[in-house]
Formats: sequence, structure tokens, C-alpha cells
Amino acid sequence: MTNRLLFPRLFSKGLARTLAGQALAFAIALALGAIIILMIDESPVAVFMTLMRGAFGDAEKIASTLLQTTPILICGIAACIALRGGMFNVGIEGQLFLGGFAAAWVGFAFALPPVLHVLAAMTLAVVAGALWIAIPAFFRVRFGTNEVVSTILANYIATLLTSYLTIFLFKRPGGWSETPPILTSAYLPELFSFSRLNIGLLIGLALAVGVAAFFRWTSAGYAVTMVGSAPKFAEYGGVSVRRVGFGVLLVSGAVGGLAGGVETLGVHHRFMEGFAPGFGFDGLIAALLANGSPIGTIFTALFFGALRAGSLLLEVDTTASREIITVIQALIILAVSADLMMRRRGDRTGERRWKF
Amino acid sequence: MDLAVDLSGITKRFGAFTANDGIDLAVRRGEIHAIIGENGAGKTTLMNILFGLLQPDAGSISIGGKTMLIDSPAVAINEGLGMVHQHFKLVPSLTVADNIFLGMEIRRNGLIDRAAQVERTRVLSEKFGLRVDPQERVAGLSVGIEQRIEILKVLARNARTIILDEPTAVLTPQESRDLFQTLRSFVDDGMTVIFISHHLEEVMAVSDTVTVLRDGRVVATKPKNALTKRELVRLMVGRDVSFDRRPRTRNEGAVALEVTDLWARDDRRLTALKSVDLTVRAGEIVGIAGVAGNGQTELAEVLSGLRPASHGRAQLHGHDILDRTPAEIRNRGLAHVPGDRMVRGVDRNASLSANMLMGRQNKEPFARLGVIDWTAVHGAMRALIQRFDIRARGPKDPARSLSGGNIQKVVLAREFTAGGDMLLIDQPTRGVDIGAQEAIHDEIMRQRADGRAILLISTQLDELKALADRILVMFDGRIMGAVDGAEMDEDAIGLMMAGIDPADLTEAS
Repeated sequence: MTNRLLFPRLFSKGLARTLAGQALAFAIALALGAIIILMIDESPVAVFMTLMRGAFGDAEKIASTLLQTTPILICGIAACIALRGGMFNVGIEGQLFLGGFAAAWVGFAFALPPVLHVLAAMTLAVVAGALWIAIPAFFRVRFGTNEVVSTILANYIATLLTSYLTIFLFKRPGGWSETPPILTSAYLPELFSFSRLNIGLLIGLALAVGVAAFFRWTSAGYAVTMVGSAPKFAEYGGVSVRRVGFGVLLVSGAVGGLAGGVETLGVHHRFMEGFAPGFGFDGLIAALLANGSPIGTIFTALFFGALRAGSLLLEVDTTASREIITVIQALIILAVSADLMMRRRGDRTGERRWKF
Repeated sequence: MDLAVDLSGITKRFGAFTANDGIDLAVRRGEIHAIIGENGAGKTTLMNILFGLLQPDAGSISIGGKTMLIDSPAVAINEGLGMVHQHFKLVPSLTVADNIFLGMEIRRNGLIDRAAQVERTRVLSEKFGLRVDPQERVAGLSVGIEQRIEILKVLARNARTIILDEPTAVLTPQESRDLFQTLRSFVDDGMTVIFISHHLEEVMAVSDTVTVLRDGRVVATKPKNALTKRELVRLMVGRDVSFDRRPRTRNEGAVALEVTDLWARDDRRLTALKSVDLTVRAGEIVGIAGVAGNGQTELAEVLSGLRPASHGRAQLHGHDILDRTPAEIRNRGLAHVPGDRMVRGVDRNASLSANMLMGRQNKEPFARLGVIDWTAVHGAMRALIQRFDIRARGPKDPARSLSGGNIQKVVLAREFTAGGDMLLIDQPTRGVDIGAQEAIHDEIMRQRADGRAILLISTQLDELKALADRILVMFDGRIMGAVDGAEMDEDAIGLMMAGIDPADLTEAS
């Protein structure tokens, strides 16, 4: 039973094929990464060992890895939700920015009792994320606009809009472009004394399990899966494809907003420019790498989190720049998307749908 | 005797399963040789062996009199064989000419000589009467034209013997007739055609010689003229299958479906239904005959809520069903077996259980408070597999692992047990084995006896003749007239299918 929960239905289908394909993609990406490291006169072994040490060397480093993992995981789940409905939410970064800003605003502008304050800020973060994707979602279901394009574009607006709000309306007195700090009543509880790691991680894990169970066991989850994998069949069976599509995108955006809220209340305790360095995109890649499985995303998000955390030690202990991490990530994305394309080849309908 | 292809003793095993068991096949030059058999009889395996895609475990192949080893399609092509697969392998973003010369591009100075390819395509196309526009992109062309391109591909590689695997499965009757004419002109040119099919009518219509396969063995090879349709069926299925009209007792009840003055448009926004009137009573089967594409699909879609009507009225048990969602119409008691079962009827990648669950994912006993009880779903599917004799290992099998006939049984099983008392059945046996057809017809008759109202859309007159109490003929979106199923007048139906009102004829004469 546990096993079935861990690997919901989508994972049982062609499991071997999926795992083999992805392992190959990984191996190729790492091999190419090794070549690049060799080109800058570093030893790939030393770099990978340093990365491992930087990510998992001691309790503090593990906590820092998990801290990086949290937003990637939550963003990844947001992506999984859309993917299961046959759609691509590339706007998670933007939803994260707006969610982060909304949570910060509730955090510094209102004085509320401790637990209530967190709940209020989180709620607004979720609502902000959902509202932000509502625009592309509406155009998708009403006019068939390509949501990949519209959600990507919405990212730029979100980043600049929150920048504007931060710099011109809510700037903290002093030199930095950031909002005033949120009140301590809005802080997410931390898990350990030695790290900023907070219950956001637990929220992410609970969400992954909850979303996996939703798709596996609920009628609504079944309807979403069917809309994603066979829309005409779902329509014929009485599922409202438009309504489900709109709802799926909205929930996906809401989870993206939640990721922002967790970052603000748990880590930064304020909103500032350059709030999140690509967590939304990393989350999307983590979800793709996990083949749209929320449980699988836990592991892929951990992998990306470890890369990010490990790269800090890289600059200290080796001559390699931490940008090498970005290169390795990019190689993985390339290799994985090549694998995805190969899997999609059999699809003769020609319809742009991502099947999982 | 001049043999284009001579196979002897071909045996091919897949594990414990013997797909081809000592098959002898002699195809004379200049004939159309049909290979007929039910799904799984070994037709496609045999052709894949001939074309070098599979290697036989035993037996020998000789082409044009010389025995040889065909270990790849390249060898087969070299020997003048060409194969048109059931599923086309064209690149949609390339032009017709580019597709034809894909892999054997005409080059000049190392670059593709597009003009020469276009010219060659034009010449081929004219020579063989296969009309295509060489510079058009393949994306957006109809399947009939795609098939022409596949045939041209084979001809461009200088094939003298052409193998076609189930070529008509995807074609409209008109396109099929065009294809047969083309094949006829090939043999008049001295070429040879091997034609794989499980469709009796077309085998009788087009072939010179027929080889019947059953369970991997050759049951008979005979000139077509020495065979009757009934004989052919017995050879294919191994027993007599009746196409006779099913015996029945009258049990008409209250009006279930009443359609008046219904109009609708098709996907191209053209008028597809023109003032359609019809009534279906409980306990009767009303058949809709007509050449495919005369509004039958649109009628089914409008009645099931998948397509808006532009005008008119349709009532199910006295409740309006136009402008209702598919879910609302289902809840009013309509069950729908869609014509395009692979797209509408199932999710091929989902399990049989997940396919069965569609439409009842919110209903007890399959779900309680929004939570699905998969144990109950699997149990119910297992019972349906038993009852409908679906050939599957179990409820968790993906639908795509089943044959077309069995997938259709899954759809029928789901819809017939959905609790609806109005059945809308579109092409129940298209692409289904003859043996399975009989079982499906039995089930439809059982539903009639249970007092369900049935609207049966079919392009096969035989099917309507066997099942329907009344037959309405559709042409160009109109109901041309009605015929009593018991005293079916095929001439009258044929005229109406062509758009001629028999009444007009009588007046004129």
C-alpha cells in the first residue's frame, strides 16, 4: 500500500522505461559537465566531491540543502498539478514573486496574533498566485491561447510589478530596495537552532503527499488526469474540460504563490528585488524530471537543492566558479527534454499536449 | 506459372505463441492477391517477414523465382517490393515531394534538388493517376491523400509488387473506391498487389485470388470467383456466422427520444444537419443508414451534448437535451457509444478500470464523498470482462494492449451498464472481427429485449438489416426517408443514400 502511495498510477506505467531514460539523461549530462570542468583545468572528481561535501557534509550543510530544496519542491508541485491537467505552467516564478510580496505586505503592514498572522499572510500569498495565473488561464480556456507563452510573459510583469511596488511604494528607509521586515508574529517556526530551515519544508512534503493522493484516489483527481491525457474522452464522459482546465491552472498558480509566501515568512522575512533566483523554473524542471509525479518531485527538488547548496563550498575549495552548477543544470535540462521528446514521438495526434 | 512472390513453410514464433505456422503463399505476377483473416490470424506478421522486418524461424522466400534471404527492408525494396503500412509514416511539416523522396533525396552539388523532386513527383502522380500537389505540406491533408503519398513513396522506389496492410481501415467509401481503381490500374500495368484485409466486401470487390488465414495457418487459397461471402466467413471464423435478420418480438413502448427540425453545423461551420426529425421508442432499434460524412457523426454529437445545435428541438423522456452538457444528458439516461472510439471512447493509455470509471467517477459504489474505491472499480471491471467476454488479462491492463474489437467491447460494456435507457450507438462494429461482431449484435438485441430505446448509426447496410426495426437514410444532413427493417428494400435505400428520393422517381416514370 505504501508503495502504491509513493508511486501513484502514473509511475507504474512504463516505470522501467522512464527510469532508464532519465538515468541515461542524467549520466549524459554529468559526463558533459565533467568535460567542461576538465576544460577549466579542474578535476571533475574534486568538483563533484566538493559539491557533495557542500551539500551533505554536516548537519548544518544538510539543513542548508533542505532550505534550498523547499521552494523548489513547492514550485515543482505547482508544476506537477498543471502537467497532470495536460498544461504547462511556466509562470510559477511570477506567482512566487507575487505570493512573496503579498505575504510580506501582510507581514509588515498588519499587527495580528502569531498563528493568525501567518495564516493571513499565507492566504493572501495563495490568493495572489491564483489571481496572477487567472489571466493566462482565462485566455487559455476561453480563446485557446497557448499558456506556455502567456505564463512566461506574465513572469516579467510580475517581477517588474513587485519591484515597482517595493521601490516606490513600500521601500524600507535606508539604501536597500526592500520592504520593511515583517513582524516576528508572522515568522514561520524554524526547525533547528542552527539554520533558517523552517516548517515550510514540512508544508512542501505534506503537499506532495496530498497532491499525489488527490490524483490517485479522488474523483476530481481522476477527472483532471483524464482531461490531461485524453481530453476528448473526458469531454465525452461528461467532464467539463474548460472548467477543469481553468481550475487546474488556478490551483497550480495558488501553489506557486504559496511557495513565495513560504520564502518570505520562513527565510527572508521581507520582500526584496531579486527575491527568488529562479526557484520557479527549477521547480518546473524538477517536476518534468520526476515525470509529473509529486512524490518523485521530492527527490528531484532535493537534487537541485543540493546542487545550489553545494555550490557555495565550490568557490571556497576549488577554482571552479559556482556558475558551473548552472551549466550542469542546463545540461540536465537539455538531456531530460531530449528524453521527453523521444517519449512524445509516438503521439500521432500532433496536438501540443504533454502526456504523463 | 510466373510467381511474383513465393513463400513456403513460413513459421514464426513469439515465445510460446505461433503467429505463422508453416504458411505457403504463392502470388502470381499481375494479380491482386488478398490475404484475409481476423485480427491476430497472422496476416501482418507474414507481410513483415516478406518485407524483411521480421525473420522467420523456418521456411523460405523466393521473389521473382530466386530464393533469397530478406534480412532488411532495404533488400526487399531492392527486389521490387513496396509496403504501405496501416499507419502512415509521413512528416507533417514537409511537402508531399519532400516526403516521397525522404531518405533518397535527389541531389545536385550535394544539395537537395527540390525542383527535380517536385517534377519527378508530378510525373509519377500523373503516370499512376494518383493526384497530389507535390508542393503542398502534408499537415492538413486528408488520410486518403496521405495514403496516396505513401503509395507514391513506394512507386518512387520502383516497386513492382505492392503490399498494402489494411489500406481501407481509415478511408471513406469514396476514397476506398478510388483506391481500388488505382490498384486495378497497377495490375493492368503488370504490377502485383498483395492486399491485407479483414473486410469481406472489399476483398470480394477487388481481389483476383484470396488466401484465408486462421490462427497462423493457411485455411484456403482460392480464386475469388470460386468463393461466396458466406464461405469466406466460414473459412475465416471457422464456423457459420449468420448475417440474417435477428428474430424479434414487437415490444415498442413509450417515446424515448423525439427530435424535431434539428439543425447543426460541422467543424467547418457548414450546415451538417438539415431539419432532422426522428422518434425512437423504448424497445425498438432505429437505424440510421448513409454514406459516412452525411451528418451522422454530427447528429450523434448533438444528441450527446458534444456539439451545439443551431436550431430545433430534441427531447429525451420529455426533457429538452439541446444546450445541455454531456454530463446532464447522461444523467437523463443517454448512453453513447461513439463512432471514433480511439479518441472519444477510451483513453488508450489508461487501464481498463480507469476507462470504465468514466462518467461514474462520482457515483456510488465507485466513489464515496469524492474518494474513489479502486477495489470496487477493479471488481466491477472484472465482472464486465466476464460478462462481455473481453479478451484481457485483467482490469489493470492498459486499453491500448487490447485489439480493436475488444476495446469496442470495453466501450459497450461501460455504456450498456451505465443505467441509461436510451442507447446512442455509432458504428458498433467498425474494424471489429466478424466473430466479435456477432457477439456485439447479440448484446444490442439483448438491450432491445430489455426495453431500451436504441438509435443505431451504421454505414454497413448488413448490420442495419440484421438489427434495425426501422431504417432512416441520411444524405447531406437530411433524413431522406424511412424503410421498414423487416422488408428492407435495398434499392430504395441505395437511391436515398445517393440523395434521390424514391418518390420522385415514381412520379417521374
